[in-house]
Amino acid sequence: MKLFKKILIAISVLSFPLSAFAVDKNFSNDKVAVWGDFSGITLDVKLIGGAPYDPLYEVMIPIWEEKTGGKVSILSKKSHFELDKEIKQDIAAGNISYCVVSNHTSFATQYGDIYRDLNGIVPKDFLAEFVPLVLDHSTVDGRLVQLPQHSDVSNLWYIKSIYEDEDNKKRFKAEYGYDLAPPETLEQWKEQAIFWSDPPNFYGTQYVGKEEAITGRFYELVIAEGGALFDENWKPVFNDEAGQRALQWFVDLYNAQAVPAGVLNYLWDETGLGFASGTVALNLDWGGWGAYFNSEDSKIGGDVGLVRFPMGSGGKRGGWSGSHTYSILNGCPEENLEAAASLIWILTNHEAQMHEARGGKLPTMTRVWEDIASEMDAEGNAFMSDLFSTFSASMAEDAFTPPLIPEWIPFSNIIFPELQAAIVGDKSVKEALDDAAKETDYLMQDAGYY
Amino acid sequence: MGRNILRSPIMLLLPSILAIGFVIIIPLIFSFYTSFTSYKLTRPDSLFNFVGFRNYERLIDNTKFWYAFGRTILFLAVVLNLELLFGLGIALLINKITWGQRTLRTIMMFPMMFSPILVGFQWKYIFNDNIGLLNNFLYLFGYESAIPWLIDKYLAMGSIMVAEIWANTSIFAILLLAGLLGIPRDPIEAARVDGCNSWQVFKNITLPFLMPFVFIALTIRSLDVGRAYDIVHIMTGGGPAMRTELLWTMIARIGYKDANMGFANAMSYVSIILSIAFTYYFFTKLVAARRELGQQ
Repeated sequence: MKLFKKILIAISVLSFPLSAFAVDKNFSNDKVAVWGDFSGITLDVKLIGGAPYDPLYEVMIPIWEEKTGGKVSILSKKSHFELDKEIKQDIAAGNISYCVVSNHTSFATQYGDIYRDLNGIVPKDFLAEFVPLVLDHSTVDGRLVQLPQHSDVSNLWYIKSIYEDEDNKKRFKAEYGYDLAPPETLEQWKEQAIFWSDPPNFYGTQYVGKEEAITGRFYELVIAEGGALFDENWKPVFNDEAGQRALQWFVDLYNAQAVPAGVLNYLWDETGLGFASGTVALNLDWGGWGAYFNSEDSKIGGDVGLVRFPMGSGGKRGGWSGSHTYSILNGCPEENLEAAASLIWILTNHEAQMHEARGGKLPTMTRVWEDIASEMDAEGNAFMSDLFSTFSASMAEDAFTPPLIPEWIPFSNIIFPELQAAIVGDKSVKEALDDAAKETDYLMQDAGYY
Repeated sequence: MGRNILRSPIMLLLPSILAIGFVIIIPLIFSFYTSFTSYKLTRPDSLFNFVGFRNYERLIDNTKFWYAFGRTILFLAVVLNLELLFGLGIALLINKITWGQRTLRTIMMFPMMFSPILVGFQWKYIFNDNIGLLNNFLYLFGYESAIPWLIDKYLAMGSIMVAEIWANTSIFAILLLAGLLGIPRDPIEAARVDGCNSWQVFKNITLPFLMPFVFIALTIRSLDVGRAYDIVHIMTGGGPAMRTELLWTMIARIGYKDANMGFANAMSYVSIILSIAFTYYFFTKLVAARRELGQQ
């Protein structure tokens, strides 16, 4: 029965965002419109796919086709990790003549100069609406190679009722000596996760456990602990004490069985659905899940709280951040450029961002931050108001991108198996980080950093 | 002279030679060449950056590669032997059936009809520690701990082996069943008249007749299993901590995710040694088995 409920939740999350929010087809709140007559033009595109991304395409692309007469041919739609591999193969094969492709600020630097500079293609007054720092992160070698759709940064979601239970409060105080409240530090987070855990029925917390996902999580904990991945000469320094403290945090939670046993195979869907199934007390995640977590489709609907990313011993919070974006390729034929600009406009404009923000995704336009907060306040939706005020503070005060260098993903592929090796006990924390640092040193040398 | 060349058998063979050249020889030469370069997929100009034996020298010192190499040999050995045992058992049982044999043969082939990616997803969710069928089934019997099937040092590789065996045992069963159907009845009946029991008949008559089929199946499957990628990629991605990393998951990651195709191709050429070794061994055994039967 428990299993069927989990499967039903998984199915419902796929359908939830589709029906939840409507859009204004007149785009009356958009100050800049990039329409045109694109009859006879078919734009070949490759997009990131999945439950959090598809609803926007399903709403906006038909509107664009109806209003412009153009057609969108989706050549490929897959997770960003798979799309990344496909783009690399396309570059090698010289098959980069499609027009629009999903991109990410963390990935874009790898692909060389395959993208067009959007300055001059996208109207200036439209670009002026974006948060300047986000546009700055979308710029590679002085060229604006991507237009940001939404940003991501993580904060800590928790189940409210267990924190309000008087018996839990008494038991926690007796065991740890301080009042039970959502964690403010990494140490408290660990202690509370261990306190809540009752495996295999209930877990204190969880983390994404593989690929770039765990690399990013480790990165932000290193920063929170006062460390860094690289020094000013790009030599790896993440194996210092701050790095070791950061990795030890993951190891301790795993050893205490405060995270699910299979956590090292988890990515974003597994953690999001796991929290919504009501079997995890504390979940670090982006805002995009917010509306779903609190909906009737989630087992914890109406019982969800949110606090800022707890602080590390370095006095900083985690804030690994990036933006999902769209790029136009150099290979896009000149006659299709205007249509391509129009398509990425409709996928990133005010209406699109409001549509996504209603589900909890973080806007990249200054005006949308204000408009969504006003809308939620007017509706009396305290949960979503809180969501945006919390995430707005994180974006303003905590957010930082990974190093925007082409070696980020190869670096991630070096370090993540070593992080896993320490977590499952195949290596000590020091040994794992030293091994990763040694290999990273070769990588950076080969790339010509020193 | 020119007319002689045009009339020669070379002209007749030319389409095949061209097809093989374009489809096999040229890509092989190209990939072999790139193994001596620092070719990165995202930097097409690096194709001409010749680095000599550097990729191969680095490979010799790369312990992760040699661990993956060893793991692949272990994977091959366990999977091939178990598939052979199960396949032989299934073939012998089906061969005994006199009614519904065709239906059973068809059912037996079902796993082969699934793509390896689907098989990977199916077993990934069966072995999932949280929502997986297996752990939830165990909870019904009072087991109170979530077994990390896809994480544990031994269980993770074992789980992948189960999926691989489930998907492909029927290949052995079909090939061995074909062998069983072709065995002449006379020697078996003569042996029974002479008082041989079932085990003696199997050991001294059935098995020697089957051995050529066994080695053909082993050769085909060793090439397949040696290239195992899809199921492993879906179920564990070679992790955690490279515990299930096989040669081709490692090569694919270095080649496509790191875009380091020169180094990945060097790994591939060293890995081919494994396939050549297994193929050579099984072919030698095949020839010996056929000689024993007086077929060659």
